[in-house]
Amino acid sequence: MEPNDNQLGDIQVWMQQALVLSGQATSPDDTLRHIAASKTLSAPARLAIYQNGYYARLLQCLEGQFKALCHALGKELFDDFGRDYLRQYPSVSPTLALLGANFPDFLQQTRPDLNETEKEQWVEFMIALARFEWDLYSMFDAPGHEGKPYAALSDSDESLRVQPCFSLHQYGFPVSAYYRAVANGADPDVPAPGTQFVAMVRKNFRTAVYELLPPQYTFLQELASGCTVQEALAVAARVHNKPEAAAQAAWTTWRKTWIESGFFIINTQSA
Amino acid sequence: MISMANHIAQLQAQVRALPNLGLGLGLRHVHFDYIQSHWPAVDWFEVISENFMFSAGRPRYVLRQVAERYPVVMHGVSLSIGSTAPVDLTYLKALRDLAAEVNPRWVSDHLCWTGVLGTNTHDLLPLPLTEEAFWHVVSRIRVVQDYLERPLILENPSTYLSFTHSTIPEPEFLSGLVRETGCGLLLDVNNTYVTCFNADLDPIAYLEALPWESIVQMHLAGHQHCGTHIIDTHDRPVVAEVWELFRLAWNKTGGVSTLLEWDGNIPSFEACLLELHKARDFMGESMGQKEATPPVRFTEEAVGTPINFMVPQIMEDTVTN
Repeated sequence: MEPNDNQLGDIQVWMQQALVLSGQATSPDDTLRHIAASKTLSAPARLAIYQNGYYARLLQCLEGQFKALCHALGKELFDDFGRDYLRQYPSVSPTLALLGANFPDFLQQTRPDLNETEKEQWVEFMIALARFEWDLYSMFDAPGHEGKPYAALSDSDESLRVQPCFSLHQYGFPVSAYYRAVANGADPDVPAPGTQFVAMVRKNFRTAVYELLPPQYTFLQELASGCTVQEALAVAARVHNKPEAAAQAAWTTWRKTWIESGFFIINTQSA
Repeated sequence: MISMANHIAQLQAQVRALPNLGLGLGLRHVHFDYIQSHWPAVDWFEVISENFMFSAGRPRYVLRQVAERYPVVMHGVSLSIGSTAPVDLTYLKALRDLAAEVNPRWVSDHLCWTGVLGTNTHDLLPLPLTEEAFWHVVSRIRVVQDYLERPLILENPSTYLSFTHSTIPEPEFLSGLVRETGCGLLLDVNNTYVTCFNADLDPIAYLEALPWESIVQMHLAGHQHCGTHIIDTHDRPVVAEVWELFRLAWNKTGGVSTLLEWDGNIPSFEACLLELHKARDFMGESMGQKEATPPVRFTEEAVGTPINFMVPQIMEDTVTN
């Protein structure tokens, strides 16, 4: 489309394409026609300030949302993926909080071994790490229970419910240990695959990640779906071939730790 | 039925009645802990509206606490008042809801557009300063003001290019918006310096042409000089030339609410406060030369309109067990 010099809408579409497509859609003639040179910069150089800034700024934001993944891939490769992602999924939100929402899926959809039968482990790990980081990021501004009381040790089992800012996840790699190591300034190797069960909990605006055993994961999953403690313990015991008495005994330990960690609130209807 | 002229006059009167809040700072995530534990002596806070509008977590909670203790102003970056895309009513509703919750003294955004065709570039993009753009922005300001039921305060952006078919000088464009809509102005003194350098304009002549009675707030910030152009980085102290422009603007306005923006390499709250309080040296009639940060020339490429400060530091605030 040839922009009409006096049409605001056409100019905006032209300029946005010049930024998002990084010059691919910009003919030098159009640039010279629309943009004036200054005493020190040509018209293309002035446009380039916006073109360079567009990706630099959004990549900076994406790096902030996926710090461990950026560490794992290295900034150069991360930015390559990030640039492709932003071309396919430009921001459509007034807030940058959602910028990385589709990044894990994008990595999955564009993985280099997509059509191979044998999947590359490092690719699997990067996607798992991206999912972990977005799951964690999503907790930051999610509705929570702050300002209201959490469950106490003295509350009955029948009254316990998982709190609103609580989520359960399963990953194919020990991603939380990798994340912790990066957060502590280490440079860990890509770990071997292994299923990891995780609970994420925000209490008093601080998010904590808890690595779970498979029966714990099942139990919390059941509880989060609306089961009572006793029902959830029975399911966890059955699924993991444990005696119910063992599950009951374990619960006394889990209960203390998880109540103190803010996993639960009180269902006032049954309290 | 109130006439358009009366409606504009009412809005202009509202703008002129807005108070001088003193010297304020931008509310930033990295300062939350300090602010909540010290409740420091600063006159007021400005918040980036989009950081709080959709928050159900700590940012919204902290803002509520801050708003109970300090005057607050809401400053947006995604209103996109100059865009030819339809006005985003979902965005406006969230803006109005936040304003109802924290009672800001005013609501501001920029004379710019941020995207079309559903995309948000998250940059404050320049408008061609034409008759067409002028009346387009006028119509959108009126829609926004009617929806928010308050005058909109518009800021002059930093720009790095100008369009060949622009016909209206920016101060004249802004004056016209005030006249036709009753909106108020937020004069970013640093942006004036940046835009004028990049467009080979005289910043003093720019300031002289503004409608001073409609300026309700000023912004101060640092920038990065790249030799051939200046980038508005908000990541360092205010330079001497901008302080001198601030002195002129202070005298012209008779003194309005003034705020320091610091968005990249953000130092401690106390350091921001120290930089802000340098403004006191330039707020009098005296033209005695105070010592200000000397201009520094840089040549490396910088990124304007920093936004990384809008990303909360999740890693630093997470416990892994």
